[in-house]
Amino acid sequence: MKKTLFATCLVVLLATLPAAAQVDFTNYVALGDSLTAGFASGSLMNWYQDRSFPAVLAQQAGAPVFEQPYISEPGVGPIFELVALAPTPIIAPVGLIPGQPTNAEYPYPYNNLGIPGADLYDMIFQTGDINNLLQGNFENVMFDIVLRNGINTALEQAIGLQPTFVTVWIGNNDVLGAVLSGTAIEGVTMTPVDIFAGLYSNTIGALYTNTSADIVLINLPYPTEIPFATTLDPWVDIPGVGRWYLVADTGVLTDADLVTLSAGDLIAQGYGLPGGPPLPDNLNIFTGEPGVVLRPDEVAAINAQVDAYNAAIAQAGAGFFSSVFDANALFSGIVSGQNVPTYGGVSLTADFLLGGIFSYDGIHPQRIGYAVLADNLIQFINAEYGNTIPRVNMAEVLFEGDWQTPGVSPAKARETVMSREALQQLLQLAPPKLDQAPRIRRPSPALPGDISRDPRRKPDMIP
Amino acid sequence: MITLNRMRFLAAAAVLISVPSLTWGSGFALFEAGARAGGMAGTMVAVGDDLSTLFWNPAGMAFQTNEGVQLMIGTTLIQPRQTFSGSSPYPGQGYTADQVEQTFFPVHLYLGIPVNDRLEVSFALHNPFGLGTEWDDDFLGNYISKKADLMVFDLGASMAYQLSENFAFGIGVDYMYTTIELTRDIGLINPFNQQLSTVAETTLKSDGINSAWAWNAGILWKMGAGFSFGASYRSEFTINGDGNASFTQVPTGNPEFDGLLGTIFPFNGTVPIEATINFPDFWNVGLAWQNEKWTISGQYGVMGWSVYQDLPIIFPENPEFSSVREENWDDAPQWRVGVELRANEHWSFRVGYLEDETPQPAAGMSPLLADATRQAYMGGLSYSTARFRFDIAYEDVDPEVRSTGGQSSDGFNGVYDADSPLLHMSLTFKF
Repeated sequence: MKKTLFATCLVVLLATLPAAAQVDFTNYVALGDSLTAGFASGSLMNWYQDRSFPAVLAQQAGAPVFEQPYISEPGVGPIFELVALAPTPIIAPVGLIPGQPTNAEYPYPYNNLGIPGADLYDMIFQTGDINNLLQGNFENVMFDIVLRNGINTALEQAIGLQPTFVTVWIGNNDVLGAVLSGTAIEGVTMTPVDIFAGLYSNTIGALYTNTSADIVLINLPYPTEIPFATTLDPWVDIPGVGRWYLVADTGVLTDADLVTLSAGDLIAQGYGLPGGPPLPDNLNIFTGEPGVVLRPDEVAAINAQVDAYNAAIAQAGAGFFSSVFDANALFSGIVSGQNVPTYGGVSLTADFLLGGIFSYDGIHPQRIGYAVLADNLIQFINAEYGNTIPRVNMAEVLFEGDWQTPGVSPAKARETVMSREALQQLLQLAPPKLDQAPRIRRPSPALPGDISRDPRRKPDMIP
Repeated sequence: MITLNRMRFLAAAAVLISVPSLTWGSGFALFEAGARAGGMAGTMVAVGDDLSTLFWNPAGMAFQTNEGVQLMIGTTLIQPRQTFSGSSPYPGQGYTADQVEQTFFPVHLYLGIPVNDRLEVSFALHNPFGLGTEWDDDFLGNYISKKADLMVFDLGASMAYQLSENFAFGIGVDYMYTTIELTRDIGLINPFNQQLSTVAETTLKSDGINSAWAWNAGILWKMGAGFSFGASYRSEFTINGDGNASFTQVPTGNPEFDGLLGTIFPFNGTVPIEATINFPDFWNVGLAWQNEKWTISGQYGVMGWSVYQDLPIIFPENPEFSSVREENWDDAPQWRVGVELRANEHWSFRVGYLEDETPQPAAGMSPLLADATRQAYMGGLSYSTARFRFDIAYEDVDPEVRSTGGQSSDGFNGVYDADSPLLHMSLTFKF
């Protein structure tokens, strides 16, 4: 009888206990870069922020609060639009006047601490002050928008929030510069692996030590597989001439070379064509002008760098009992056709403009791509932690029209795939470290002193 | 620059990936070979005492030479119903749709002519495969299938010979003629609003003579004490069909995008297509016991659906649209039992039950065919005179409620719940 009573009590007790392994979304914080912020089509804008993968994840999981640094239309910088499709697609910002923060008075750190343009070092050490933005200083705009108080970094603010769950997707900008500049140089366009590995381990260690959150790490896709690098062919068909392989200042291109979207504007001016000047292959370290060609050895070097970063991410995950979501496999599966997202007989691809995954900047997803990512992350969390988060309703996503802004006139059409303004807007995301190399070259292995604070204290108030 | 070639590739992808399979129920086999057989679950392999044995076991005709010339004509009214309840990610939790109600009339027409008291020659026309599906215009599976019709006509000739008083065999040849029509929408991402948009409606339609030869054979052994044993085989066959595809543009509202699509899709006229479809073999063994009043019969059979591994659709003039769709079906076993009571010289009554396993993997379930293991209950009666018989039977086919389990290769997940009432009717004349 006693045994039966004990067993009954045990069953009742177990049944009433929450499943300890499940992720608790009561206080979810997303750390990362533009991909976490919901940046799309060259812009951080409220319409897309509401469709960022952390926002979708929080909504599906029923998180009671998920605050973001909303920017009004047309975003910062002004969002790109497709001005024309044929005969040559033309993409340009909708205007010159950016949107404004609409949630800057929120008295706590945001749940979405994704900062467009941030690399790993920035996430740990960089601060931002909303007053800069209010005074018209846009030099550090994304940090000012997201971090605001001029004191705490993104990592510090995340810890200060004492989250119950954290996603960390950082490192994309530690290698993206190599693609944007057409040049793979460790220390200039790519963060050295040993520095990345050390910083990453310390970062996750700080989160693990100073919070009680479940942590999901997201590894890095290959930036050589994004439409920015894969859309243009290394040749053009010229009437009367036939297939003409473009000429760069390092020689004639081959089918193995990648030509970035930056080349579109130059080709339209005659670069790389018969009788024209050659395309710049590599970054001009004196002027900062980007190269537009990735040779096979550069592609291999970039991918190897990503593999090394991902190994460091996996190691940190294992060391600090954090799960690692394989975004690299997800995206490579889409590119290779091995794991194509198919909904109702319609398959999405990584193709520019028509594939459905990527936005007009060729780098970031659009809302469909973010929803696909969120849906895969939900499946991962459900499998890994035993949650029962409902999957994303892709019918609602697929048939939803894109952002529209009545009254904003289309930008002036340019005879190129992407206008020069649009390209410059993009290049600011991961500029080559020509004049500030020491900042990432040999950072102190120590984290900011106040990071090991009392994990139970109240979140910082933001003035 | 974005080249037209890339646009063509994406448009082609939208065509191929959504080219549907030609699949319907229990695979898409039909067993509606006569109302008397229909009333006792088709358990005729070891019975073989009326013209419907031409489908189930041709050897049975050898024991009917004393019936004179026989003619059976009939049909089965089939009203398939199906409800789909969606799940996320597509078409989403809470989404439901009902298949448009349709009625189908597969026919059976049999003629048996005795040559002498041991040999009978017979001719048959029936539909061993077929059915169709149709969904409303606002159906979210419209990029997979909106409407589908497939029918296979089997025109057969056979002979049955009684080797001894208790043993007979039969063999036959079948000329299979197929008609197919499939309609669905084509969806592409509209680059101007990044929204999934319907850009065209396409119809694939067979034309010309899409046919193949097949054969069938069987034995029937009356073992004594009322027991009989039968076995039969119907061969597999392959339809190498020709047809055409038409594409009708659906304006998206963006003239620039629509204009570009007009340079990629052959919107004016039709383009030829070729398809290869493998149809399964079907073998059965049966055991029956009969006396003057009762017949009790059971049989076991297997349809060799494992031949249906893929479905190639070739566009000879538009190779970028060609595709091979994986199906990966398995062989499907089935059990049948039936009982008949001959109450008097005019009236007889029968009941039956069958179980028929699905050959279709969950990944292949789609609005075109969401097959499931099925049970069916049936009952029927006959009124007969010396020169005439009328058979009628009602059958309730009740497939299991089946979920795609999140595995749909079309990305269209949910639960299908179907049932089909069947009304079999046959008239038999003896001359």
